[in-house]
Amino acid sequence: MHEAISAVLTISRWELKRSLTTMGRNVLPLAVLLFLLLVLATGFAQQQGVHLQDGMYAMATDSPDLAAVIADDPRFRVTLVEANAMPGGGAFDLAVIGGRIAVAETDRAQAALAAFARDYARYETWVYTRQDDLFAAYPLWIDEIPVKSELDFRATQQGQAVGAVPPRGAPPVPEGTVEVVATPAASLALAADDLRSGLAASAAEDPQVSRYAGVLTADSPDLAFKTPSQLAPPLPFDSIILIFVFIFPLYFTSQFFMMSIMNERVDRKGEVLLTTPARPWQIIAGKALPYLALMLAVSLVLTLANGAPVAIMLPLLPVILFFVAFALFIGMVSRSFKELSFLSIFFSTVATSYLFFPSIFANVHVISLISPLTLIVLQVQGEAVGAMEYLYATALFWLTSAVLVALCTANFTEERLFTSTRLLSTVRAFVGSALSLCRPHLSVFCAAACTIPFVFMAQLMLLVVLFNLPMPLSLVTLLLGAAFVEECAKAVPLYALARKAPGVLTWPRIATLGAAIALGFLAGEKALLFATLAQISESVFGAVLFTSLQALWLPLSLHFVGVLITGAVVRAGGRRALLPGILAASLVHSLYNLGIILGWAA
Amino acid sequence: MTLRHVALIARKELRGLARERTIVFAVLLQLFIAMFSSFLMVGLATLYDPDAVAGFSSTRYAVGYAGSDSGLREILEESRDFRVYPMDLSTAVAALKERTLNAVIWVPATPPDAAEPVTITLYTVQNDIQASVVTVKIKGVLVDYEQELRAVRADRLTAQPVEVAIPASAGGENFYEFVFGLLIPLLVFMPAIISAALIIDLICEEYQHGTLETLMATPVTFASMLWGKVAACLALVPVQAGAWLLLLAANGIAVRNAAPILLHVTAGSLILILIGALCALHYRERTAAQFIFSTGIVAVVLVVLALPANPLNLIVRLAIGAIGPEHWLVLAATAGGALLLACITGRYADRVGGVGRDRILQEQR
Repeated sequence: MHEAISAVLTISRWELKRSLTTMGRNVLPLAVLLFLLLVLATGFAQQQGVHLQDGMYAMATDSPDLAAVIADDPRFRVTLVEANAMPGGGAFDLAVIGGRIAVAETDRAQAALAAFARDYARYETWVYTRQDDLFAAYPLWIDEIPVKSELDFRATQQGQAVGAVPPRGAPPVPEGTVEVVATPAASLALAADDLRSGLAASAAEDPQVSRYAGVLTADSPDLAFKTPSQLAPPLPFDSIILIFVFIFPLYFTSQFFMMSIMNERVDRKGEVLLTTPARPWQIIAGKALPYLALMLAVSLVLTLANGAPVAIMLPLLPVILFFVAFALFIGMVSRSFKELSFLSIFFSTVATSYLFFPSIFANVHVISLISPLTLIVLQVQGEAVGAMEYLYATALFWLTSAVLVALCTANFTEERLFTSTRLLSTVRAFVGSALSLCRPHLSVFCAAACTIPFVFMAQLMLLVVLFNLPMPLSLVTLLLGAAFVEECAKAVPLYALARKAPGVLTWPRIATLGAAIALGFLAGEKALLFATLAQISESVFGAVLFTSLQALWLPLSLHFVGVLITGAVVRAGGRRALLPGILAASLVHSLYNLGIILGWAA
Repeated sequence: MTLRHVALIARKELRGLARERTIVFAVLLQLFIAMFSSFLMVGLATLYDPDAVAGFSSTRYAVGYAGSDSGLREILEESRDFRVYPMDLSTAVAALKERTLNAVIWVPATPPDAAEPVTITLYTVQNDIQASVVTVKIKGVLVDYEQELRAVRADRLTAQPVEVAIPASAGGENFYEFVFGLLIPLLVFMPAIISAALIIDLICEEYQHGTLETLMATPVTFASMLWGKVAACLALVPVQAGAWLLLLAANGIAVRNAAPILLHVTAGSLILILIGALCALHYRERTAAQFIFSTGIVAVVLVVLALPANPLNLIVRLAIGAIGPEHWLVLAATAGGALLLACITGRYADRVGGVGRDRILQEQR
């Protein structure tokens, strides 16, 4: 054990030294220079302002005051005209003459009007904050209190719109217990001067910048009272800022690891490493360690720099491992740099969506908890996250990372590293070499069980995408999609084995292997479902995704029939028949699921 | 360097892209994004302007009203957006938690003309999309009530802003600014970034896979190899950008001046591609070249955005038809810059091309 760890550390040192010397000599001076340039460019852009939307709208006015106010907004091209002279000819989007606005009948003019209205509100604030009697200018102040209300899947399941409006005249009667809410104070707890400076500050800053800057830190207490125009709606989309802060740097650093793996494959450079006594897992661990440490360090620095709780490192850890595992995989399967680029862009988009979209529903819907990002949102809000929730949100990330790393370790051989084939064939060969020909049944059983975390991830992604559709449509598409994903996953070990040893797929073998795959799939599904997804599996969506839980023999025979169909079609039609086989199996699978849901079986 | 060889290399690279089906991933990506499109449109538009969420809803919302009677209650009851239920505060908040109410307002007994302000407490559901819509609608009512109170206290004000009667808008205008002012320049310039990253891959591949030497043994020169790759990457840009414009048109977003926009994008992306090519020629190694390029490009884009009448701004103005022929001047300047950079790249390629060949031969020995 001691020797194994020292081998890992040696390889880490090599990796570090190599990347530092190659990067250090050539890249570092220029990188420092570029960083300085970047700082200068940021300063320049801040000073000059971003000129993306300059001159979009044309406005004419007869009021010099107003012209001066609006001219501050670069979106407008302002022309000062003589009093009460209405300009014609459609040259202007807006004409403000004698306190009245004429708007051209175009979309652009409507947009110009909205921009004008916001500028005008800013101008009003500017005038009013200079009043001696602040409470004459701002007579209304609002204390906004958010109330927590979390839905579970049953709300959408009942088919009614959430928050349906009760009938006129009869106020709604709460079903649960009524907790006593203290009567709010009728006066402001703050001095007028504090409010005045707060107003001036909020008028000066860009509301869009400040709202996103404020996501990571709690509101300061002087913001407790607002004027009506300061009210900003609470926005679930704000969690995207977490993606930018925490996930993009991870994606960026994982690129280096990806390239390091790819570089070993170029020109058979990695042959040296393979001839050392170090075993594949030691090489992979050794190469990954510096990057893993870098990612952890970057995350920790970002966490501390943003004043977020350090506990958010816990949900970030499986995400970091997930990125490292996929970087390893992509680095090992890409044929060329082009493919590497496109694969990594594709992966990062899908992974980002998986992380981001559920977290939109943080505090709203339990589905949000399938994303570790939701845990981060909750932790930033200062809420406790339980062990169950942690397991629920991160289990799939831990498991998929583990399976991927294991798969890559099994394939970290000369044969796989230095040959390049089409992506799908490579993946098939990867799975193939993880299977043993001596114990085919046991290995397909294990392989089928290992596909489960990926299947769940794909299905949850489907759930997130589709549950926003109107009710019958969302169920039907989910039904078809879920069946297709499962049949694909089950076809993978069978097909990989068939291609590895072409003679293996005899008719009796299809039956026995199919049974092993069905058993493995069911075992994996059972094990993971009880551990994590109890909340979803109780709802009707869960019924669609995981119908397999009522009785054991029913789902087992369903999985068996599915594999059998795929296997038979492939056996009869050759390897080109794989897709039709999977489609046929999915159709049968969907019909069965539909039958269960509609109660045909009962 | 002959044109025939340049075309040959360009065709080879484009065929390679098609064969590896990497382009399939690009298409998959577009489809994937399109799957979210309605969600994304609403989502991104509200990121851009939170008030826009109210435009997506037209139902009546239930508001619990607690505390003293006031002018606010009248405004709420007159509004078409709300149904008002006078209630006890605790009951109302409990109903809000169960979402049978959308918001609860508590109003104190402060008279409208009092010296102190009227302090209202507003309860909404935390972090919820519907609560966002409700807040925006209530905001409108509160602004009206603020004006009413301000009118009551008007004799205490010393100055009034220039009066302008702003007509009610038809809605959807925030969407317009978001789509034309942000989304379109972003979408049409994305292919430029992709192509610039692509040329780094193409050039580094020749160095790192050792295929450059084989290529140099053919009548193809180093320069025609380079320009062939540049041509292949450049050719992809107007195709991809044009595809985005067509997709937008299919979604009912009519972009004007498509041809000049594509010219601007192509000229601008030539500059980015040449910067990428320079990085690749200098480092001959993908990690370093991509790293330096992606850092450098952020600085370049920031500086360009800070300049008035920059190509991105011109694309916005062209797309909405808010610019005259003066944009041709900027196009000429961009094209001139690209040509200058092309000369520099050519010189640099001549220098490193020869050296690179010697070094490869040396390494072979």
